[in-house]
Amino acid sequence: MSWELLLDPSLVRLAVSMAVPLALASAGELLMERAGLLNVAIEGIVTLAAAGAFLGAFASGSAGVGLVVGAAAGAAVSRLLAHYAVAWRRDQVTVGLTLYVLCVGLASLLYRMVVGVRLTPPRVETLPPVPLPWLGDLPLVGDILFRQHALVYAAAAVVGALHGFLFHTSLGLRLRAAGENPVAADTVGVDVFGLRAWAALAGGALVGLAGAALPFTLTGTFTEGIAGGRGWIALMLVIFGRWTPLGAAAGALLFAYVEAFQFKLALLSKAVPPQFLQMLPYAFAILVLVRAYRGAEAPEALGKPYDREART
Amino acid sequence: MTARAVARWQAAAPYAVGLVAALGVLAVLVAALGGDAPAAVGSLVRASLGSAAGFGQTLNKTAPLLFGSVAVILGLRAGAFNIGVDGQIYAGAVAATGVAFLAAGLPKLLAVPAVLVAGAAGGALLGAVPGLLRARAGVSEIFVTVMLNFIALFFVEYLSTGPWNDPMAGEAITRAVPPSTTLPLLGARVGAHAGVLLALAAALAVWWLLYRTVFGYEVRAVGDNPTAARLGGIPVGRTVALALVASGALAGLAGAVEVSGFHYRLILGLSPGYGVMSILIAVLSRRHPLVAIVASLGFAALVVGTDSLQRSVGLPASAVFVVQAAVLLVLLASEGLRRAP
Repeated sequence: MSWELLLDPSLVRLAVSMAVPLALASAGELLMERAGLLNVAIEGIVTLAAAGAFLGAFASGSAGVGLVVGAAAGAAVSRLLAHYAVAWRRDQVTVGLTLYVLCVGLASLLYRMVVGVRLTPPRVETLPPVPLPWLGDLPLVGDILFRQHALVYAAAAVVGALHGFLFHTSLGLRLRAAGENPVAADTVGVDVFGLRAWAALAGGALVGLAGAALPFTLTGTFTEGIAGGRGWIALMLVIFGRWTPLGAAAGALLFAYVEAFQFKLALLSKAVPPQFLQMLPYAFAILVLVRAYRGAEAPEALGKPYDREART
Repeated sequence: MTARAVARWQAAAPYAVGLVAALGVLAVLVAALGGDAPAAVGSLVRASLGSAAGFGQTLNKTAPLLFGSVAVILGLRAGAFNIGVDGQIYAGAVAATGVAFLAAGLPKLLAVPAVLVAGAAGGALLGAVPGLLRARAGVSEIFVTVMLNFIALFFVEYLSTGPWNDPMAGEAITRAVPPSTTLPLLGARVGAHAGVLLALAAALAVWWLLYRTVFGYEVRAVGDNPTAARLGGIPVGRTVALALVASGALAGLAGAVEVSGFHYRLILGLSPGYGVMSILIAVLSRRHPLVAIVASLGFAALVVGTDSLQRSVGLPASAVFVVQAAVLLVLLASEGLRRAP
């Protein structure tokens, strides 16, 4: 195998586009986790948002409507999770897994109710590439980075903004405090419950946007398995990136590259059965996990309900 | 009523609420599809519990759900979330199918146990990966089990479309296993296979393991408070790993039973989400293996019932997930409301 194949511009270009759902979902998850909420429903939310976005665009004819529907679905489910976790202090993994099942069921139920059973599944337009002025004309780099669809730029902006928000604003500091030490944060007047609720809304919307990106950038259709583990991988990328937006985004690019590479290999090689190539990203994920867990430190209060009156 | 009886009724109340919620959600879904909701609920109950054949189908669905839910319960009791029941079911089914092909010449009395042991071993192997990684490297078993689900599914797709494919069937279906390797039926009229009895035995065995053995005590100690368990001299990592291996073996048995009792072959759609349903059942049963028997039967009836509505009013198969998750959400909310200030 030659190096040209590994660094083929069309492969890298595809990887950048495929990183978008992973980057958006891990950014949303990260925002929630920094506030102390673990969102295990993420795979289900991605699926539901993909269905919502597809159906929104299918019914209205506009991708914009679809994106809004997807983000709203993500925000709503995550806010529900936050209510169970914050107000009712239920175990977050249990609630998350239940919501995961609910979302997966709802997604295909809604699709069936709106679209019905058809011989050929309906399609929506995928997003067109938007060349950026001047940057798009750069040799090589322009083609890979700056002649992409709009969500690539949006995802990059989200990651940058999230980094700025978390580490360079006082609200971001308070949010991190709510996730690290809610007792101390509460004592100095930080609204722990309010911050967690807002983090769920905003983070959930980002996860929803990630789901919406799937039909609009990859498939053009909705199928039950559209998420294909991307939600779980996003959850993992948060650990991989040590709970930093830039680290998680780097992980998103790495995974998207492996995914795109597997596509490419399947086209080139007929010797290996395609199913073994399809296993690649998941096997890679397990290998990376072992490394990522070495010395990983989660926010101190992650997944723990905050009870003002509990004795510590 | 004595205080104890009152407490018992209070513990049962959420289940009644859950049942009402399930039927309510179902009625809403049927009405949304333009069907007659009360009639649909009636026909659901008739199809799953009202006839011998229907009850037989419910028992056949109970088998994998009960195996799966006690598998999840065993993991949960050790403080580990086994989200990989689906993958372990597939691993068990692959091993069972392979051994069944090899055991073609053996008498039934040897072949069937061999197939079941193979299923348990296949599931245990897949359970050992997250077990080892958690014990040795502290990796969350949630991710590892989920990733293995995908890997197992692709492997089954490979086998069922490739080397084991039945060319006459065309789809992702393997050749039939030899008749000498299949589970006996409990009665021709009911159409239920012996798998449900094996699952029942497994649930009792898990109960015995958890409450009557030293290992079970250690599992519960590790799950309740790992720090205290470690200070008490219990090898925490090894206990969690062994619990996950045993959990995988139980799920693998579900796969073996599905192959040798129901499908008589390995198919790609072998598990229509038994894994996630098992998680819901485990939580619903408050992690108790004997309660899981009743809950699995209830979920199985729901699966068979909605299946029949799929034919009569066009209710999609995915509706069953919505109904089941809604039951649990109502239950969790009622717990939350009771304890909220």
